[in-house]
Amino acid sequence: MTYLFKRLSLLLLTLLLISVVTFVLTKILPGDVAIMILGTRSHPETLTALRQELGLNDPLVVQYGRWIGDLLQGDWGTSLRFKEPIAKLLGQKILASGVIVVLSLLIALSLAIPLGVVGAVRQNRWQDTVSSSTALLGISLPDFFWGMVLILLFSRWLGLLPSSGFVSPLENLWLSIKHALLPAIALGLSLMAHLTRMTRSAMLEVLSQDYIRVSRSKGLGERMVVYKHALRNAIAPVITVAGLQLGYLFGSIIVVESLFNYTGVGWLTYQALLNRDIPLIQATVFVIATVFMLSNLVVDLVYKVLDPRISFE
Amino acid sequence: MKRRDFLKLSALTGGAVLLGNAPNFRALAQGGTPASGGTLVWGHSETTQNIDIHQTGTASTLRMLQNVHDSIVVPDSNFTIQPGLAEAFEVSSDLLTYTFFLRPDVRFHNGKLLTAADVKYSFERVKDPATGATNFEVFNDVEEILALDDHTVQIKMSRVYSPFLARLSENGSGAIIPEGSGETTGTQPIGAGPFQFIEREFGNEVRLKRWDEYWQGPAYLEEIISREVTEPTVRLTGLRTGEMHLINDIPLDRVDELKADSNLQVHTWAPLSWAFLNFNHQIEPFNDPRVRLAFDYMIDKEVLVQGALWGQGEVTASPSFPTSPSRNNDLQVRPQDFNEARSLLAAAGVNPSDLEFTFKTTTNYPWHVEATQIMQEWFRMAGLRVNVEALTWSDWLSQCWINRDYTVTMMNFFTLWEPDFLYYSLWHTTGAFNYRNISDPVLDDWLQQARETADQSVRMELYHQIKQRIYDEAHDVVLWFRNGTLAAQKNVGGLDHIVNPNGSNLNFWRVSLG
Repeated sequence: MTYLFKRLSLLLLTLLLISVVTFVLTKILPGDVAIMILGTRSHPETLTALRQELGLNDPLVVQYGRWIGDLLQGDWGTSLRFKEPIAKLLGQKILASGVIVVLSLLIALSLAIPLGVVGAVRQNRWQDTVSSSTALLGISLPDFFWGMVLILLFSRWLGLLPSSGFVSPLENLWLSIKHALLPAIALGLSLMAHLTRMTRSAMLEVLSQDYIRVSRSKGLGERMVVYKHALRNAIAPVITVAGLQLGYLFGSIIVVESLFNYTGVGWLTYQALLNRDIPLIQATVFVIATVFMLSNLVVDLVYKVLDPRISFE
Repeated sequence: MKRRDFLKLSALTGGAVLLGNAPNFRALAQGGTPASGGTLVWGHSETTQNIDIHQTGTASTLRMLQNVHDSIVVPDSNFTIQPGLAEAFEVSSDLLTYTFFLRPDVRFHNGKLLTAADVKYSFERVKDPATGATNFEVFNDVEEILALDDHTVQIKMSRVYSPFLARLSENGSGAIIPEGSGETTGTQPIGAGPFQFIEREFGNEVRLKRWDEYWQGPAYLEEIISREVTEPTVRLTGLRTGEMHLINDIPLDRVDELKADSNLQVHTWAPLSWAFLNFNHQIEPFNDPRVRLAFDYMIDKEVLVQGALWGQGEVTASPSFPTSPSRNNDLQVRPQDFNEARSLLAAAGVNPSDLEFTFKTTTNYPWHVEATQIMQEWFRMAGLRVNVEALTWSDWLSQCWINRDYTVTMMNFFTLWEPDFLYYSLWHTTGAFNYRNISDPVLDDWLQQARETADQSVRMELYHQIKQRIYDEAHDVVLWFRNGTLAAQKNVGGLDHIVNPNGSNLNFWRVSLG
């Protein structure tokens, strides 16, 4: 419990620091949201008035204080550029990103673990070659390439899946998955490749250990040895990487999001940055950082479940 | 006086300028009745921003909102102002009093009938600086807004502002929203247009539903789903897979390919926007008209239209819309003539090899970057040393537009057809869009005069003169008109009526699905 408490307080402190750094960095960038709102329709007069209204003329400390004060009362504020409540925007986009991130993780894990295990167990045989080549293919080609191939194949030629857009799973689960499937595969392929390589090498290492030889010599079935004894110990680093990827994917899937016009957190962050929309930048960075840190925490906790030898005290 | 009495009276006396009662059924000329119903999926090229019709200045947002809101007056294709929500309007001969007679049968999407109170409320909302309306300056000279009775609104001006009606017809300044709905119009807009706003999921889609009690008769389409797809290739894929019925803004290099596709229809029109080359008039030697003229002679505009726009545009010497009476049609695009350019530079005492500058362009418009690179070659051929700097949109806006920290740049504008808005804003010393530091007392004088001239033909003549002056002095070099483009499935009807005269807004009222 103390461990969890320590970790959570550290998380809050880090978030606070991140928010200060983001705020200052955004202020250093040229241009501001008032210019972006008015664009080539801006008069000097309207610009001044708008800056005043948006509170951009106040000292930095005041602006930051206002933001953090509201946040502490649970108010994310309103996007300056889009005039939408940020809480609503975050809700929509976290859901959207969540669907493809989770789906791509599931796809990646369900392919990577069997492939990795087979590659290790059948080391240097044709099964290993298949496993390694699949991984190599996934690693060597970027996700946008796979995205285009998938669109061509499944949308254009076969007409099976939509090529773009997002549907909320709360509205229509089946349609939501149909829309999320192609981006999730595109995203999941390179992740799958990494995880396959990880599983294979972790398995190889474990399989060469003494307790495996003991298990085999005491007459346990090969299946039992591989899946119960070896995999359980080899999986821990794979879970770590997968968990870390969750946080990473959340903020960095912008390429796949653009390709499929699937507007999630990455897209929202990009829009916020592009428009110098400070409250929105703060909120999106906050969310990405939180997901990143929380997934780290969860990975550490899962570690303990997978490997009881690990102690946090 | 009742509205009908007034109509009779003015018909008899003919004293006042009166336009009215001409119903706006633009589409009836087409044979056959299009099918009613269906949901049209529109792949919209941009993300809608703030959807408060009075606050928003973004072309993309107005393109969608055009279907939700109606305006008190509207422009026709020759930019003559026609009745909209007002079935007639009267302008006093001194241009100081405008009287609007509202249609009695207009219903907002909340079921309420349009009254003078709504008009007064909307106008006052735009006028109030606290609203942050992009076009608040339209109401600068408005002294008083009076609701004479339930269906008559009168505006009293403190001085003559000749473009007033035209400005009301454009960019949402004359859009009428129900009294008191200002607080919610940015989240759940209520208008009197052909479609009701249902919802927006930001960055993803906007849903609109037919308003059956629309005063011009219900639209054909039951629903419109405007999917916001900023990536052009994704729009193209969506059209090709049949997920979208209609997309706007086809990538310029793909237009011909789509035209050749027998499963699709392509609609193009001119102009969507116009572009020009800018000089900072405060930097030597660009304050010398001969130097600016020399640049005009270095550019082959025809080649530029081919090279940067893939032929999707036309050369023009004037930014005035082709159908606008303010357009000076006598002006010819200057040909490329390096000898002329060199002698002009020599006359100005400029040695080409001494002239080195940076050409700032923005990646927000990829074809600007291409045009810049082509022009850079020509400038080099004339012996100049030119560096190109490609800036992001926010950098361009803050460096060039706000801080005027540049030597040469280029920009384009949408929907600027109203001559005062166009010429005064861009070429008057105090013009809001004068980011080139232009200060020409002759122009200033004429622009002010035009603004205060009541007689429209005299006023238009003044604009011809103004444009001639800009052309002679080469204050800027106009480069092109860019075409608007959209593509649709074969079963989409009514594309002839979809584009607003301003070239940017799309109105789905007469669009149907077969």
